[in-house]
Amino acid sequence: MTEETTAQAAPQQYSQREKIAFIIGIAGWLLPGLGHALLKMWGRAVACFLLVGLLVFFGAGMRGNLFSSNGSDAFDSLGYLADLGTGTFYLLARTLEKSGPDVSHAGGDYGTRFLATAGVLNLLAALHAYEAARGRKA
Amino acid sequence: MIGGAGFKLSHLQAMLLFALFVSMAFGFLSRRQPLERFKYIVWSLLLFLLVGVGIGWAMYPFSR
Repeated sequence: MTEETTAQAAPQQYSQREKIAFIIGIAGWLLPGLGHALLKMWGRAVACFLLVGLLVFFGAGMRGNLFSSNGSDAFDSLGYLADLGTGTFYLLARTLEKSGPDVSHAGGDYGTRFLATAGVLNLLAALHAYEAARGRKA
Repeated sequence: MIGGAGFKLSHLQAMLLFALFVSMAFGFLSRRQPLERFKYIVWSLLLFLLVGVGIGWAMYPFSR
């Protein structure tokens, strides 16, 4: 009887864990570092928040190209996906970049890379938090 | 919020900042112990700079 109960409870627990891990992953994407903060990994949470934030701040400050959803080619779409990886910081970058992008000089080009890298790094961090919540690695 | 001119960084400054931020993110995500993290960050930063400068020099003959 006890064994049967345990056998039934195991898939439920697994499913519950998966759900929580998914929510943690989404939270980590929406606000950099939040996924790790929910797992009480404070060092990683602060590092993700600050590093993604700094990359966005410098990227927008160097007037990098912040792609929008109405891109004309595949590179624009990929750039948009990368930029979206920063979650809510995408909106922050839009607010910071008042004068719009200027990629006519090297600084603007670097800024574009900073913004895309911030997004990809945040996606990596969110995936890391998701995996940690599933108990795979930490 | 940020002035119209934006930040003015040289190539080297931008590369240094980029390498530092990305190395730190890699270090924090992939290592748990502070000493291991520090070593990983320094090693990753050095490799970023080495590869960056190396690629820069490799492209030099085609720059004009």
